[in-house]
Amino acid sequence: MPRTSRFEGRLLIAPLTAFLIALLGFPLVLDIIYSISRVGFENIRAPEPIGLSNYAKAIADPEFWAAAWFSLRFGLIVSVIQVVAGLGLAVFLAPLFAKRPWLIALLMLPMMVAPALVGLMYRLILHEFVGAVPYYLLEWYGDFPAFLGRDWAFTTLVVVETLQWTPFALLILHSSYAAISPDVREAAALDGARGRRLFLNIDLPLMMPAIGITFFIRFIDSFRVFDNLYTLVGPGAGGSTTSMSIYIYQAFFKVGDIGLAVAASMLLLVASFVVLWVINGLTARKAPL
Amino acid sequence: MTRLKTLLTSAALFAALGVTGAMAEVTVLGWPGGPEEAGLRKAADAYNATASDADKVKLIFFNRDGFFDKLAADLAAGSTDFDVNLLATYALGRYAPFMDPITLPDADKATFPEKVLATMQYDGKQYGIPTDLSLHFMYYRTDLIEKLLSDADWKAKYGEISEKYLGKKLEPKDPDAWTWEDWMATALFFTKSINSDSPTRYGTVLQMKNLLFNMMVWHSVARAQGGDWMNDKGEITVDSPAYRTALDIYKKLYDEGTSPKDSTTYEFAESNAAFGAGQVATMVQWNAAFGDLDNKEKTPAVAGKIGTVAPPAGPEGRFTHIHGLGLGINKASKNKEGAVRFLNWLGTPDAMEIYAKAGGSPALSDEVVAKVSAERPDLVKLGQFAGAYGFVMHGGTAAKALQVYELQAKEFTAYWAGDKSLDEALAATKSGMAELLKP
Repeated sequence: MPRTSRFEGRLLIAPLTAFLIALLGFPLVLDIIYSISRVGFENIRAPEPIGLSNYAKAIADPEFWAAAWFSLRFGLIVSVIQVVAGLGLAVFLAPLFAKRPWLIALLMLPMMVAPALVGLMYRLILHEFVGAVPYYLLEWYGDFPAFLGRDWAFTTLVVVETLQWTPFALLILHSSYAAISPDVREAAALDGARGRRLFLNIDLPLMMPAIGITFFIRFIDSFRVFDNLYTLVGPGAGGSTTSMSIYIYQAFFKVGDIGLAVAASMLLLVASFVVLWVINGLTARKAPL
Repeated sequence: MTRLKTLLTSAALFAALGVTGAMAEVTVLGWPGGPEEAGLRKAADAYNATASDADKVKLIFFNRDGFFDKLAADLAAGSTDFDVNLLATYALGRYAPFMDPITLPDADKATFPEKVLATMQYDGKQYGIPTDLSLHFMYYRTDLIEKLLSDADWKAKYGEISEKYLGKKLEPKDPDAWTWEDWMATALFFTKSINSDSPTRYGTVLQMKNLLFNMMVWHSVARAQGGDWMNDKGEITVDSPAYRTALDIYKKLYDEGTSPKDSTTYEFAESNAAFGAGQVATMVQWNAAFGDLDNKEKTPAVAGKIGTVAPPAGPEGRFTHIHGLGLGINKASKNKEGAVRFLNWLGTPDAMEIYAKAGGSPALSDEVVAKVSAERPDLVKLGQFAGAYGFVMHGGTAAKALQVYELQAKEFTAYWAGDKSLDEALAATKSGMAELLKP
């Protein structure tokens, strides 16, 4: 590349780079400082350096790992369910969507509600004395489970998250399914492929990139679950529904241990970076030359 | 150009006026968005009507979310944006290093019972005027208890149930004479799954969510058994028979089904909804719940049928957790003289009368509350119960008191939900508290 072109390229990218440095770099530097300091609200402007103690404290804290496991389990389960449900709906409802595209807008509505409000809504719906679900279960079956209790809270959260975000998977996967050229299907049909075989051998492989991206986006979003979880059950009895986000929030605002909270978030950042780096590497390796 | 000059001159004039105004006023940072704000506004209006320009009070408020953390950061940073700020009993130790103690005039001391003044004291010093108080009532359904006290069949059943579940035959008593054991027996009796004749589904509703305020409610049980956070030597004393008994009272009631299944996610609002639906016979709840529960439009099922007494007695007596909100002086204030004059006035009977009539909930001495009892009958019990039964746990105003509540909430809810044994929960609480409350 000629030197002038390289210079122009750098010049053109400079404003964006400066913007990113200001937007991401400053908080990152501040986070690094806080994560190696003893800092609370009282000395937030004068943190006291203590080395890597906060990192050691987070790593040695069983609750940190319990929260990480909760988030990982929750993220994986709901992402798989959402992708499978979204894929099923995209394929089975495709003829309907082709005739009545406005139905897609209707199905997108749950995504328009703020997750915190969804949590509050289900807190009401599932409340024994004001909620519709326990009321009818009691009327019909004479009993109902404690939806937000220790034994059911995780399942309830998975259902709530799935109901709200499956439309997102449906939207992407429907677009992907609709984008498959009819010529390809026609050619496969001429070769004798029908029904399940057509789907497994033609549609599914062509949709795999979209499925992978959908899963990845939903996993990231579900892993950092906070709003609906916090308003629905909070950290749970004994911290049983503490996600990573809630762990960090509790350490920061409730316990006032800002150093620990920031160290935990930095560990999460490093873990996320490693995952992204691996996925990026895999994608690059598979890219056509 | 002329327009620009006019604009600049006007701006400079406004700025100068603003600076002068800020220097002359007493800026008060209050608790926003509730009856406390309404009360403070009325009181400030009354004060400003007669105060000199230098003493005029200006009120500011910011959002309740994260209020105490934002306030801690402002105080620690030496903010001079306010001269007087909100205080809470459980955050006193956190703010005390950044505030000036006050000396109450004799007139103010007579306005409040001694125990109420103590909710604003830390390390032997008074840090604020106690403007609002929260404590607990034992709420019960008067119609149900009246029948229980008079119906022979119900009495006999009550004896059977208490013998079966508590190991001793008890007789129904007036709620004002209840021990915690009597309350347990009553809760068991009014639980449908235990007594099919019960008109309510549950005998009580327990607030067992992992939430610090729920620990305050439960503390009224613990203290009656003799429980405290620590002794005079500063040793943590939660691993005691008193704490074990109090924890087991909740555990037994929950396990026996006297409280809704989802109680481990219940707090103030859920409990009120349960009681307000007419399906709960008794509950220990904050005094603030009474207004809504006794409102015929909001809760027609129970309004007019609610009795309130102080929480039951235990071996060590009868107690209710109390905590107050109040106003004190910012150490970095630029107008401390004006701030002192306002607070001295705010603590007088006349000022508290205005505050109470506008919606505030001060706990006042008998002579002062008599002036507002017609309009605010709830304040009569508030003052009486606070004076007679109010307590603050030893260490309850420490710098990390809030964290102690958080820790207890996490550990004790783990025990109630069956995730930890009593020994594990108490051991974790004890070691955590030792770390948080170390000198």
